[in-house]
Amino acid sequence: MSKYTANKNIITVAVAGNPNSGKSTLINAVAGTMLYVGNWPGVTVEKKEAEFEFQGRKIRLVDLPGTYSLSPYTQEEIIARDYLVHKQPDVILAVVDSTNLERNLYLAIQLMELDIPVVVALNVYDELEKKGYRINIRAMENMLGDKLIPTVATQKKGTDKLFKAIIEVADNPAAYRPKQLTYDEDIEDAVKYVEQYIKEKHPLLAEKYPLRWLALKLMEGDRQVMQETRLENEGFLAEGAVNHLRKAHGDDIEAIMADARYAQVTGLAREVLKKPDILKIELTEKIDRVVLNRFLGIPLFLMAMWLVFKLTFDVSMPFVDWADAVITGPFTRWVEVILGFVRVPGWVVSLATDGIIAGVGFVLIFVPVIFAMMFFITFLEGSGYMARAAFVMDRAMHSMGLHGKSFIPMLLGFGCNVPAIYATRTLENPRDKALTALLIPLMSCGARLPVYVLFVGALFPTHSGTVLWSLYMMGILLAVLIGIVFKHTLFRGEAPMFIMELPPYRLPSMRSLTIHTWEKVKHFIVKAGTYILAVSVLVWFLLNMPWGVKHKRDSLLGQAGQMVAPVLAPLGFGNWEAASALITGIIAKEIIIGTMAEIYIEEKKDKEMRTTPTFTEDLKKIGISFAAAVEDSVTNVFSTLKIASISTDNQAESRGLISVIQDTYTPLSAYAFMSFVLLYMPCMVVAIAMKHEFGTWKWFWIAFAYEIILAWTVAFVIYQGGSLLGLGG
Amino acid sequence: MNLALLKPGEKGKITKITASGPFKRRLMDMGMLVGELVLVKKVAPLGDPIQVAVKNYNLSLRKKEAAGILVEKID
Repeated sequence: MSKYTANKNIITVAVAGNPNSGKSTLINAVAGTMLYVGNWPGVTVEKKEAEFEFQGRKIRLVDLPGTYSLSPYTQEEIIARDYLVHKQPDVILAVVDSTNLERNLYLAIQLMELDIPVVVALNVYDELEKKGYRINIRAMENMLGDKLIPTVATQKKGTDKLFKAIIEVADNPAAYRPKQLTYDEDIEDAVKYVEQYIKEKHPLLAEKYPLRWLALKLMEGDRQVMQETRLENEGFLAEGAVNHLRKAHGDDIEAIMADARYAQVTGLAREVLKKPDILKIELTEKIDRVVLNRFLGIPLFLMAMWLVFKLTFDVSMPFVDWADAVITGPFTRWVEVILGFVRVPGWVVSLATDGIIAGVGFVLIFVPVIFAMMFFITFLEGSGYMARAAFVMDRAMHSMGLHGKSFIPMLLGFGCNVPAIYATRTLENPRDKALTALLIPLMSCGARLPVYVLFVGALFPTHSGTVLWSLYMMGILLAVLIGIVFKHTLFRGEAPMFIMELPPYRLPSMRSLTIHTWEKVKHFIVKAGTYILAVSVLVWFLLNMPWGVKHKRDSLLGQAGQMVAPVLAPLGFGNWEAASALITGIIAKEIIIGTMAEIYIEEKKDKEMRTTPTFTEDLKKIGISFAAAVEDSVTNVFSTLKIASISTDNQAESRGLISVIQDTYTPLSAYAFMSFVLLYMPCMVVAIAMKHEFGTWKWFWIAFAYEIILAWTVAFVIYQGGSLLGLGG
Repeated sequence: MNLALLKPGEKGKITKITASGPFKRRLMDMGMLVGELVLVKKVAPLGDPIQVAVKNYNLSLRKKEAAGILVEKID
């Protein structure tokens, strides 16, 4: 076979391993900035690849999803084994957590069944030594026929040796064919029987698949392999040696195989692993005693979450404000100056500044938030606490059909729905992930707050706290309700399993954290940026078309507002101004206020007098304000009980608005309007995040459809119900 | 007796896995095999799921899932 020829130009290495084995840390350590992150085709599982040179040789790394086994039941497992079986990499790098040898080797020996040379990284080797364990590496190499290299990925220890070994193995594949571990005699007889059958009857399949692996999978009754090979109906699996095996052990060959594999691994571990005489109580154990305590568990979790939320938004907000100020201030001014210099028509200036730059700025102001959030989420995940959070919260979340891990994305939703959507990445099961993402828009985000603040300030000055609180609660209660409804309709069927490892606590490496975070941010800027820009330009056109429109009422947006208004009439705000504002709110809900201001306050304070600062003055100011942002970000972290939020700036503008709103709305219609704003649809950036995260618009459309119906219904009930009760006045 | 009925601190030896399909395979892949010793370590603050130690590592599973694992209590 071709894979046993030596000296390839480029060595393809597939990296496999258990979740929490330090696989991604290892990959980040060796490939770092060369990593290309995408998705496996057709699914939301992340695919990382990198090409780099090591000692003059080209190496291509393909990171397989973390799995515990190669069974055909989870997306991750199917992806990993499809790649290995059909793409035939030159070497499999099996990353093994040395402190958990048995369960990790269980996967490794399944990898060896694929007849591709395997190099094993005995990762987290420092922890193993610290615990007083010893592994007889030489003996283990002899038993497995693989090369074994101890590594500490967090410190990049052993990685050079590891890649030397990989090249050595790739160049002499025949010398490093993995040893096939032999099972009990009756199993081996059955394997031989099936192998023979395939060779005779289906020689093509024998070429296409590693023969022994195929035989084992067929015996296990692997659904996927059965379908792929179309051997389901041939009946040979009920004959001869296989039949004997069945009779002797009952029908469940899959269980026999799992047993046999574990038996081998346990035997191997017993021979090579030397345990210390006295087992120390581990740090993980001690932390868990507190963190998972019956009484302390939930308060500690809530505190941790409060901290994550606070850190995410406190750290990022000053930078958001800074980016916003730079873009709307000096940057816009520079562009105006430059465009003025080349004498382009006024509408081009407007398109460039109000359309394009505003759009770009809009993308950029999300960057600090996403960066901070991804950083903390990656930290939680890498440290091992995420699994504990899921453990503590699962009971509560499960009643809504969600997973314990769903809590964190939902909570982040109160800050901003966009990073919350990205945070659903921590959920492995596609069903849990989709349902969580669908409910996130019901969490009232920071961008909705300015709208509430304005309306509450105008119409509920004495009960502002209560009214605000009621809106947040409404979102939460509706999420519970909709969650239950979806659980029984869209997501009917058995809930995905929870069976989850509680990995030992570990300090994630800074390198791994920053690489992961940066990947996400880069992706957002490039992918989401394009869409956001397009939509901002579109909205600009809506506002400014037809050409030379004088009154906003006559613009395309105003016309659209007039068309929509009658639909909103039963909700108490059937005017074109509200409708137009809501339409622009699809970009982001805080824009609703901006649009209202633009519509209501006709005589826009014609370009307030301002002394145009010079270019150097601007640069200086940008630098100073950045320093101030850093300072704010740091002080925010240390100031307790204060969570920064997107502030309603431009006081003068809102004061003018308040009086218009007091004239136009009653408390009842204002409340209906606020509820509508809370519920009516995910903003465009959330939509893009959903598309981006799921690879399809499907979930966005579902969220859009249910939310708009929900919003209308809720606002209708509030307004009509309230009117009936005589609250209309 | 099944695993969900053991109290924290109690140990059991797995006698049979009554779960089926993907559940069963996943349990076995995680090392929940007949003859294996399982120690129940904790119950989550809200009463579900539970944390068990098996094969020298920690695993959490919902009680409903644990009920598919028959055990013999060991003192």
